[in-house]
Amino acid sequence: MTQNNQTELALPDGLYVRLVGILEKLISVILAICRKIAIVSLGLMVIIMLLQVFFRYVLNNSLAWPDEAARFCMLWMTGLMAPSAYRWGNFVAIDLVKNLVFKRLGDILILIILLLGLSVLIVALMQAERHVNSGWLFNSSSLKIPLQLIGQESIRVKLAWMYVSLPVGFLLMILVSVELILKKVHEVFDSSVNYGSPPDQISAIAE
Amino acid sequence: MLITFLPLFLIFLCFGVPIFFAMLAAPGIILWLNGQERDIAFLYRNIYNGIDSFPLMAIPFFMLAGELMNRGGITLRLVNFAQVMMGHFRGGLAHVNILSSMLFAGLSGSAVADTSALGSMLIPAMEKNGYSRRFATAITAASSVIGPIIPPSGIMIIYAYVMGESVAALFLGGMIPGILVGVGLMLMTGYLARRHNFPVASERAPWKERGITASRAFFPLLTPIIILGGILGGVFTPTEASAVAVGYALIISMFVLKTMTFKDLPMVLTRACLTSTVVLLLVGAAIAFKAIVGLSHLPEILAGWVLSLSSDPLILLFLINLLLFIVGMFLDAGPAIIILGPILGPIFVDLGVHPVHFAIIMSVNLTVGLVTPPMGLVLFVASAVSGERVETIAKTILPFLAVEIIVIFLITYIPSISMFIPRFFGFVQ
Repeated sequence: MTQNNQTELALPDGLYVRLVGILEKLISVILAICRKIAIVSLGLMVIIMLLQVFFRYVLNNSLAWPDEAARFCMLWMTGLMAPSAYRWGNFVAIDLVKNLVFKRLGDILILIILLLGLSVLIVALMQAERHVNSGWLFNSSSLKIPLQLIGQESIRVKLAWMYVSLPVGFLLMILVSVELILKKVHEVFDSSVNYGSPPDQISAIAE
Repeated sequence: MLITFLPLFLIFLCFGVPIFFAMLAAPGIILWLNGQERDIAFLYRNIYNGIDSFPLMAIPFFMLAGELMNRGGITLRLVNFAQVMMGHFRGGLAHVNILSSMLFAGLSGSAVADTSALGSMLIPAMEKNGYSRRFATAITAASSVIGPIIPPSGIMIIYAYVMGESVAALFLGGMIPGILVGVGLMLMTGYLARRHNFPVASERAPWKERGITASRAFFPLLTPIIILGGILGGVFTPTEASAVAVGYALIISMFVLKTMTFKDLPMVLTRACLTSTVVLLLVGAAIAFKAIVGLSHLPEILAGWVLSLSSDPLILLFLINLLLFIVGMFLDAGPAIIILGPILGPIFVDLGVHPVHFAIIMSVNLTVGLVTPPMGLVLFVASAVSGERVETIAKTILPFLAVEIIVIFLITYIPSISMFIPRFFGFVQ
């Protein structure tokens, strides 16, 4: 991944690279699991919505819960997919300036942008805490865990379970930010280093 | 001075900060400097509430339906159908390219999907038929902008949601403009074909062959009819229609046409998740941004400034087209709509421009921006698909771009082009 002899970093090069490597692998594993849950959520959204159409127009008996359940899935899909999208550089930006300036300056600019992104994510996470806490006070209007099927009383789902989807995404994005920042810092300090794209990247555009 | 968030936002944008972060950081920093910490909580809640929406679900669904349709087999059937209908004209394959884009537009709402699906098939075929690669790539890119204009359309769902308009009205409003772009491109192709003596692709197909090819393209071509018919007939909402489109695309691609297997499903779902997550986050940030735009009285201040330039809506519409065109050169259509819709929409609606009409002007103009250098996304995709340089494509595309600019002005100054169909179906008063 990197081949450098001299680094101006305080940490010994081998250790730094190894730490970044461990973080990269850890994030890859976590995000792979997140993506699996995200695509299942998308599949569930489709099934739930088609079920609603079927019940409403074929059986003439509209169900109460599908709208909220599908939104629940969409929020979790967004939260769990966002870190992968961020890591793979899918967030839309105007890259003109970065490409116009020479590489080292471009790298420093990217580093500043990554730090700005990290601060936004940290503030968002702090704000989310209060939002999620308020969610424990309210029940969802239609979502219940159907415990009556096993002879118990059904439990209403707390709204916090929906609210927490985005903060989970932000938390994982913070982790991704740290990874990207560590890599970029190394690249800024040592121009012979190039970490390249994350190992598990896929293209958003079909071949 | 809350309004200072706008210049800060533009600075962030120019320096390459991802739009999602720029939309939150700029107002957030100004609120913090103003000591309005409570409004930062308001900003966050708007992101959440922006994403937690039923109508917005149409975005992942249409993305998924597009991914499912974007399989070789289905595209091939559409191209074959276009070929038997138009292949015998001079410049046959160029016409086939445009017609295929129009047909594909009814299945997907994205110009990028259109370029990558049709380009990989038609550019080599056109080269073999004697066209230069640069021309083949240019016509593929130019015609792919029809994708988000003819319904279904990703950007129109976004506009409708952010601005509180009816998705159905915008979908219907895009129909005639989309067809106009297609016909305009065909007229230009006809002119160029005569001038440069373009080849004819095939003999005129007998009606029997046309019938067979049409029947093979029948199932894919039924998709827009199901979507629009369902919405117009009151059978389902646009969101439900998009889910039905996914179900339908899945059944025909896996069980009828067999262009896809269960093994392909995870990758298709992942791609759809990825593209829709980026859009959903942007929409969430846009709703938060819009709230701050409202608090800052920016539209009123900007309206005062715009009206000081001229009070004639026709001149202002001309200026706004210029602005949108320039923005479109640098920014993808979706994000541009998300940023500019809340700022510009209210000004022009106050001037008496119908919201649906303004939505169509904005959507078409920014979509055409996808094929203009230096940042046109479709140009890059077309370049990647064909191996032709972006600069070369940008030069060859100019006559087609001229046609599209003429169409933009027609749409701007003849409101009934966008308003006739929505009005006819009673979606607009």
